[in-house]
Amino acid sequence: MKRKSILVLVSILLILTVITGCSSNSSGESNDKGVVTLNFWYGWAGSEGELMEDLISEFNKTHDKIKVKGLSESDYQKQLTAISGGNPPDIASQFGDAVVPWGVKGAMTPLDDYIKKDNVDLDDFIPGALEQTQYEGKTYAIPIAMHIPMLLYNKDLLKKADLNGPPQTISDLKEYADKLTVVDKSGRIERLGFQATPSVYSMAFAFGGQFWDPDTKEVTPDNEGVKEAVKLGADTWKKYGEKNINRFQSGLGKSFTAQDPFFVGKLAMAIEDEYVPTFIKKYAPKLNYGIAPIPYDENKPDLKNPGDVRTSVFYIPKGASHPDQAWTFLNWLVSKDQMVKFTAGLGNLPTRKSALSDSAYDNIPGFKEYLEYSKSENLHSFPALPISSEYTTELTKEIDAIDRGKLTIDAGLKKVKEEIQPLVKDK
Amino acid sequence: MAFTVSEASKRKHSKKEWHKFWLGLAFSSPFIIGFLGLTVFPFIESFYYSLTDYDLFNSPNWVGFQNYLDIFHDDAFYKSIINTMFMAFIGTPVSLIISLLIALLLNMKVKGVSIYRAIYYLPSVIPVVASSILWMWVFNPQYGIIDTFLRAVHLPDPSWFLDPNFTKPALIIMGLWGTGGGALIYLAALQGIPKELYEAASIDGATMWHRFRFITLAALSPITLFQLIMGLIGSFQIFTESFILAGNSAQGGPDQSMLFYAVNLYQEAFVNLHMGYASALAWILFVIVMLITLIIFKTSLRWVYYGGE
Repeated sequence: MKRKSILVLVSILLILTVITGCSSNSSGESNDKGVVTLNFWYGWAGSEGELMEDLISEFNKTHDKIKVKGLSESDYQKQLTAISGGNPPDIASQFGDAVVPWGVKGAMTPLDDYIKKDNVDLDDFIPGALEQTQYEGKTYAIPIAMHIPMLLYNKDLLKKADLNGPPQTISDLKEYADKLTVVDKSGRIERLGFQATPSVYSMAFAFGGQFWDPDTKEVTPDNEGVKEAVKLGADTWKKYGEKNINRFQSGLGKSFTAQDPFFVGKLAMAIEDEYVPTFIKKYAPKLNYGIAPIPYDENKPDLKNPGDVRTSVFYIPKGASHPDQAWTFLNWLVSKDQMVKFTAGLGNLPTRKSALSDSAYDNIPGFKEYLEYSKSENLHSFPALPISSEYTTELTKEIDAIDRGKLTIDAGLKKVKEEIQPLVKDK
Repeated sequence: MAFTVSEASKRKHSKKEWHKFWLGLAFSSPFIIGFLGLTVFPFIESFYYSLTDYDLFNSPNWVGFQNYLDIFHDDAFYKSIINTMFMAFIGTPVSLIISLLIALLLNMKVKGVSIYRAIYYLPSVIPVVASSILWMWVFNPQYGIIDTFLRAVHLPDPSWFLDPNFTKPALIIMGLWGTGGGALIYLAALQGIPKELYEAASIDGATMWHRFRFITLAALSPITLFQLIMGLIGSFQIFTESFILAGNSAQGGPDQSMLFYAVNLYQEAFVNLHMGYASALAWILFVIVMLITLIIFKTSLRWVYYGGE
């Protein structure tokens, strides 16, 4: 009898330890001295993660009331689980496009009170980068780094085709793309002048397109500018044929390696982000290339220097144990000095205007042009909406169908609107 | 549990029996608790969620059967069902036939047959992620071994994973690589067929085809039933291959030709955060798989032979 009860007791104890082990109160403990421990999940890994760890230890050295424990966790899905499970980190990194969808669902703590309290100058942030973190007057996250695209062009190939300097306008771009494309007798593409499916976001901004009308609260994939941008890609597909483009693309090497199509001259012009020149220096140091603004619509000269902005941000998850201390750390991370240190180390662009002229970026290839371009007023991000992820998914899907000739441009974009608009009304 | 109910219930349980009962329960409790907490509870919970509008962060909002109604107006649902059915009803039989053929070959009395058996089984050990990346290169239209061969013999060379018409056939061919596992099960069953049956049939003048048709196939039919059902269930859950081969777009590759049921479900649940809708999708999948399994069981009475009654 005794032995039985002992056995049962032991097994129950074992199970209990397992269960409690799963749901430990890991999120922040404060000890007797009043030191608060913050859990911080960031998405950078490897040498980029070490950069973050350096900043963390610097913070810990200079702040004796707060101790930050960093964790490199590039699976962003885990944040979802942790927040919905009520056991989130105190502060975490995310991509800018997730901010509003998550924020309006209540997964992120609005930072406006903190911003007001500490007089954070949001005007110092690049508007295109900040756009993605705000919705209906609330700021859910602060951007630390951003990507913007410019046009890279292969100088040798342009010269061979008797083209002087980069294309300025979209008509130039089309003409250049035609002249630089090489097709053999059987229709097989040997080189493309320009990407077959250029970023619809950057190109839509180049045509003055908008994806959202804030006044009528309508998604506008059927907007003229967006249409033009889609047409640019669709025309290329139509001209050379789906099969030939598939075949050409399948033979291309992986991006940002020594076999990158632009690096090896299989692509003469490409819209690429600011970190690409660093890869070129590493993998194709002999490539003779130039960096130019993305061409604009010649009928709309005020749209010069367009492009889409994507950001990395920090936020305080809903249900964080120590939001006040988390804010102190967050605010420290995105202040100018730390931002410069981190972004220069990563080779990303800073999101503060005051950081753009810092000498820390002097030795990063291409940054002279990209930092200058960051000041452009025509940089935008994809509209920050609760339904952004459904919207971009649907756009990608229908543009693929349009490129393959399954749908006309009008029909495809109309379908996007029909699918997405009802979702807007729900909220 | 540890005693038979019918017998034990007739008389009063002795102390010893109770002791054994509790002991058995104690030892199996890790599983029972895990099963209740990690399988049964989420199972029931997901049905509740399927009747709500739930985004993971806010508390679920009761909407009744709205999610189920919405699903029947959703293009992605139909597209994913058609794609998945293709894999299930074309892919599964093809792989069954191939694994049976392999098993027949491996059952022959040749030198070094155990080495062949190991070789055929080997691919089944390789994780899907690794093999998918490998096959991506095998199917590469420019450099891949398959198209290089096809061009050499002047046959059409499809673009495989880039051509909407060829993505699923390519996936099925890729799946054949892993049929060694199924072949092994067939092989075990083949070796269990009594030799006397073949001898008796030969004496009665049965041809080789007749022996195969009426002895081998008939004797293997219970195994075929098992493999068919497991294969179908596996096809209905296909996810990893598409997720890797369709690139990070996760929209099922060219013209959504690899948008499978589970991929669509994942997209709704974790990208669009429509957990309620995704739960409803999961329940519909459950019902579909249940129905198909039931139908196969019913018809199996006609073609499955359980020997030795």
